[in-house]
Amino acid sequence: MAGKSGRSINNVPESSIKRMIFSWEGILILIFIAVNIFCAMFSEFYNVSSLLRQMPVYLAEVFLMLPMAYILVLGEIDISVGSIVCLSATVCCIVCNMNAPFIVVVLTGLLVGTACGAVNGFILTKFTELPPMIVTLATQIIFRGIAEITLGSGGSITMSNLDGFNAIGGKVGQVPYILFLVVILAVVFAIILGKSTFGRRVYAIGTNRLTAYYSGVHVQKIRMIIYTVMGTVSGLCAIFLLSSSFGANTTTGNGFEMDAIAMAVFGGISSTGGKGNIAGGVIAAFIIVCLRVGLGQQNVHAQVILLIIGVLLIAAVALPNIIGQVRRAVKTK
Amino acid sequence: MEKKSFIKKLTGSREALLAAVLLVLFIVVTVINPSFLTVKSLMDMLKNNAVTMVMALGMLCVMLVGGIDISIMSTLALSGMSIGMLLKNDVIASTPLAFLIAIAIGICCGLAVGLVISRADVPPIIATMGFMYVFRAMGYLVSNGGQWAGAAALGDFKKFATTKFLGINCVIWVVILCYAFFFWFMKWTRTGRMIYAVGSNPSAAQVSGINVKNIKLLVYVIMGLLSGLGGALQVSVYASAMPDMQYGGEMDVIAACVIGGVSMSGGRGSVLGALLGSLILATIAKALPLIPFFDQLWLNTIKGVIILVVVVMNVVLQRIADKNALKGREM
Repeated sequence: MAGKSGRSINNVPESSIKRMIFSWEGILILIFIAVNIFCAMFSEFYNVSSLLRQMPVYLAEVFLMLPMAYILVLGEIDISVGSIVCLSATVCCIVCNMNAPFIVVVLTGLLVGTACGAVNGFILTKFTELPPMIVTLATQIIFRGIAEITLGSGGSITMSNLDGFNAIGGKVGQVPYILFLVVILAVVFAIILGKSTFGRRVYAIGTNRLTAYYSGVHVQKIRMIIYTVMGTVSGLCAIFLLSSSFGANTTTGNGFEMDAIAMAVFGGISSTGGKGNIAGGVIAAFIIVCLRVGLGQQNVHAQVILLIIGVLLIAAVALPNIIGQVRRAVKTK
Repeated sequence: MEKKSFIKKLTGSREALLAAVLLVLFIVVTVINPSFLTVKSLMDMLKNNAVTMVMALGMLCVMLVGGIDISIMSTLALSGMSIGMLLKNDVIASTPLAFLIAIAIGICCGLAVGLVISRADVPPIIATMGFMYVFRAMGYLVSNGGQWAGAAALGDFKKFATTKFLGINCVIWVVILCYAFFFWFMKWTRTGRMIYAVGSNPSAAQVSGINVKNIKLLVYVIMGLLSGLGGALQVSVYASAMPDMQYGGEMDVIAACVIGGVSMSGGRGSVLGALLGSLILATIAKALPLIPFFDQLWLNTIKGVIILVVVVMNVVLQRIADKNALKGREM
């Protein structure tokens, strides 16, 4: 499309170094380095081992960013993931308290997430006229509502058997398991989105849904798969969340959907569809994780960190647009 | 002939359908628990939902141009918290001044959101998501690290929500005035019609000489103004100001609009629809504790199911209507 900068479906690989630095990923890497230098100067405790120790709490949200990137590339949005995390964490806790083996607990969590995602996908593919925002808004309220009913009037639950969750919260040397899993999943998601036919079809749908449909892409099937995977990954996020919180309450996962979307959008994945890649999203996610760890070490309140993320998010989308407008204005003069 | 078309119009209109739903809801709840249908209970219901009802008007404007604003409750918290702290520290004491300050803060917030969306072409959901964080954090900073402004600190301001004028609570007067103004504004003013025009077809509106960017800016400013007003109302109704008030409440406002028939893609929706939508939500929230078996825990699930049913019904009805329209053309 004319005037749309960035990657589109027919992206040509560019090899020159200048291009690489000025691409969004290049800028993100520079920001990443700047954030780390800033954190190291700001907090005397900030180093690799403290980063690795405090990271796992924030890494669970990075899982959500990966399928959210697919949904954004489709040009859609899913704001129910926070509630799916809440519901699967709740059900996991209940199953765990029934002294079920750990593998059953994990499978239940994943299954609940998958079922919730499938519900989203089913409604969205059956009634294609509906905007995803409204449907996932409704399911967001419903899933959290079900969790509230399950939790009862107390509104929270704690686990009695922590062995399994302690095990997945473990680490190899200094590196926690969850970091390995995030990297592996990120690579898998990146390869599927960037290199496979499936990924190319996702870009095609995001760029122009009707054209994609007429070219023989099974639009609804792909949407269904992506929303279901979003649910599964939300279940995974819930399990890793439990490995550090050991319990669930009605506010578990509050605002996770926004954080996941913020990471993806900050990583250059356009919410209007068809643009962006996982690499950008992952770098952006790690920028936010490092920022949270670094500022958290100096007791900066979570709200202030959210303020910084909010400003980064708006600036990341607004600045390229403003620069483009100025450039066009100069050119026409 | 004319009468028939009138009846057809009535049964075909969404507002009539919603009014019928509201009526049925009223009757059912009253049969189960007669204490619902008393003047006091209804007035309480209106008072407690005044914030959502007022802000549904702003959301109507935003959704009419095809946008969405999820930063509103953060704006509410920022403006409410600001006047809360000003009253607490005895900087101001008069109620009208407090309202003006809250509204002014709301307008500034709305202006910031509107400029980013209309001038920098940021998608509304992303921009307002960013501002949701920013304003909420600013409200927190204003509160000096999470302090509350309790009832004792608010002085005369909290009396606003308990004084009556002509037998009706002042808060409800604000709601009535807002709805009356917007009913006139959306239907009979040039600007109101321009908002509809931009929502139905932005490029057609542009070609016919409407400044689309300014209209988009305007609706977010209106939204900010009403959020500021909502902040003042919230503080006075609940007689306290805290930085996390109405967290997640924006979904209620959007839900009220969606149930009221406001389309997400813009151009469709009315003030009456927004009113009925927010009244239906308010009635359900009020009625649920009165009904045995259902307790408050079920509220969210039921609310979500209703939104889902309403939007799905919409699609189904639209499909049937399209099918019938096609049938009419067959030879």
